[in-house]
Amino acid sequence: MQSLGFFGSFGGVYVPELLVPALEEVESAFLEASQDADFLKEYHHLLKHYAGRPTPLYEAKNLSKRYGARIFLKREDLLHGGAHKTNNAIGQALLAKRMGKTRIIAETGAGQHGVATAMAGALLGIPTEIYMGAVDMERQQPNVFRMKLLGATVHAVEVGSKTLKDAINEAMRDWVSNLQDTYYLLGTAAGPHPYPTLVRFFQQIIGEEAHQQILEQAGRLPDQVVACVGGGSNAIGIFQGFRNSSVQLVGVEPAGLGLETEHHGAVLAKGTPGCLHGMKSLALQDKDGQVRETYSISAGLDYPLVGPEHAHLQNTGEAVYASATDAEALAAFHTLAETEGILPALESCHALAYAQTLAVQGTPEQIILINLSGRGDKDLHQVMAQQEGAPHVHA
Amino acid sequence: MSTLKQAQTQSRYDDLFARLKQEKRHALIPFTLLGWPTPQRCLESVDAFVAGGASALELGLAFSDPVADGPLIQQAGRTVLEAGFDVDQTLGLLKQIRQKYPHIPISLLVYYNLVLVRGIDRFCRDITEAGADGLLIADLPVEGIAEIKPALDQHGLQLTSIISTRTSAERLPKIAAQSGGFLYAVSRLGITGVEERYDQSLGHLLAQARQCSDLPVCVGFGISKREHVETMIRLGADGVIVGSAVMAKIQELGPEDSIEPIQRYLQTLSTPIIP
Ligand SMILES: Cc1ncc(COP(=O)(O)O)c(C=O)c1O
Repeated sequence: MQSLGFFGSFGGVYVPELLVPALEEVESAFLEASQDADFLKEYHHLLKHYAGRPTPLYEAKNLSKRYGARIFLKREDLLHGGAHKTNNAIGQALLAKRMGKTRIIAETGAGQHGVATAMAGALLGIPTEIYMGAVDMERQQPNVFRMKLLGATVHAVEVGSKTLKDAINEAMRDWVSNLQDTYYLLGTAAGPHPYPTLVRFFQQIIGEEAHQQILEQAGRLPDQVVACVGGGSNAIGIFQGFRNSSVQLVGVEPAGLGLETEHHGAVLAKGTPGCLHGMKSLALQDKDGQVRETYSISAGLDYPLVGPEHAHLQNTGEAVYASATDAEALAAFHTLAETEGILPALESCHALAYAQTLAVQGTPEQIILINLSGRGDKDLHQVMAQQEGAPHVHA
Repeated sequence: MSTLKQAQTQSRYDDLFARLKQEKRHALIPFTLLGWPTPQRCLESVDAFVAGGASALELGLAFSDPVADGPLIQQAGRTVLEAGFDVDQTLGLLKQIRQKYPHIPISLLVYYNLVLVRGIDRFCRDITEAGADGLLIADLPVEGIAEIKPALDQHGLQLTSIISTRTSAERLPKIAAQSGGFLYAVSRLGITGVEERYDQSLGHLLAQARQCSDLPVCVGFGISKREHVETMIRLGADGVIVGSAVMAKIQELGPEDSIEPIQRYLQTLSTPIIP
């Protein structure tokens, strides 16, 4: 490897020996591609004409009134595919093609990354297979159907907790058995080097656009940039546009039923140093290092580790991390729907919910920029079920 | 003290391979998970291994996310963890095995998180005290070995490393230089399991390993029959590791069955191969 991809003490390459040559191949292809004007031109061309970039930055005035601060939403929900995942999937699929790979595999939790990968595979004519936990397949059926319509094969993962963590395990097992022709298109800024760096590279477009757009619209940088954190790709993407500035970077994790319970996925708040899925990072685990099952209303945040760069940013204080519960996220879902006519993904609702907390602490002139990482169509089933179970409380 | 310990443990593998060479025999290294299917049955399995002619033991610590393993070992790990069997109890079991078999080399197969979370130094000390001679860390490539090397050396533990036909000519000597006991050559790319297939260039890998290291080389992944063992020895291996196949046999037995079929099965794999 040309680098081991450490962010402070986190990151690295902790994989079975058999995978090292494959990662070396990805690293060297990525280093070349990211310097190659033709590659970048094709990537940006597709982002613009296929995926619909730049996405708008929208000043949500009704929500601003409700929250008591100036709220801007980076509308990744309007990106083709319905979430920021498309940026990364297109970038990596182009890389796979450049490497001469004839098969793409990916893992997915909420199904958003699976959909994005299936789209990219269809677009570039590369057969695509997706690993998804059986539990996630159950709660994200529309996305499973979408992936199939887009021509991907979806493999139900029936082992372990049957969620994202196990889908990643299965994708790695597949990859190690099919290295010659297969590209592993990892969905978040986590995993072994070079993935955290590579995914950040393909997602930094969010931050670059947002930086320019907020200066145009507000005449100044925001006070805070807020994004939800599952593995951390949408957060690292938008953070990247505001690093080394006065802007406070805030990541929001899923507190599930509460941080005081066992049912959450707040890795940065409650995790301890560990090593899984090829990286050193923070993990929710027991005293022996057995990885715990997590809980969140949003499948896309239900992951017991976090991208290594976030663990590092927390250590250095360059970013701060907070959390929002299921109930708070759901309330934010309804608030945005009612005030702005936007149905946000439950993942993004965690960022929205915490932005309200920030607004309450600040002044009405305070500018909060939220990464609205995806749209909520995939979550309607989940939200409906919640409403039937408990009457919905107006925020 | 630590140098004495080092001398003792090194000699278990060194003695073994020196003796096998003299007797013109190959090493047979069965693998199972500690505590599986139950602690008692695990002890009985080890008895059957030794009675069946095992030259050394490869014993695994159950882990929640064994990315390098196939379905059988994954499920076995889950069974062990669901029974509430933790690392302390696992080391207790290892201690019993060591007391019963003072001379057989034993290496532990672990995932790195278990080492890190216990603390590298404490982990190495505890497994040494429980009787391990070495370990194989499934998800720690040579790039990461520097992190644990001081602790390994201090406790006289030997590190078995994986090599494959995809391992480059530059990596191979680096890996060999950090390793002890024996090198573990995987017969094919992929995960553990009984799939019968091996890389055509395996013979080349074994020859390359021989050139850059004095360590014995044993082949694992997919070995389940006498003819596989013969093939591997003919290709130049010093021994074989048999994991999923022997665990599948153990799984076939009911809780009340005698473990003797395991012994007989291993005997078919351990009898000398006449050149
Ligand atoms: C809409 C949306 N936002 C956020 C996430 C969380 O991923 P990350 O933290 O990598 O942005 C997901 C994952 O599926 C998602 O679908």
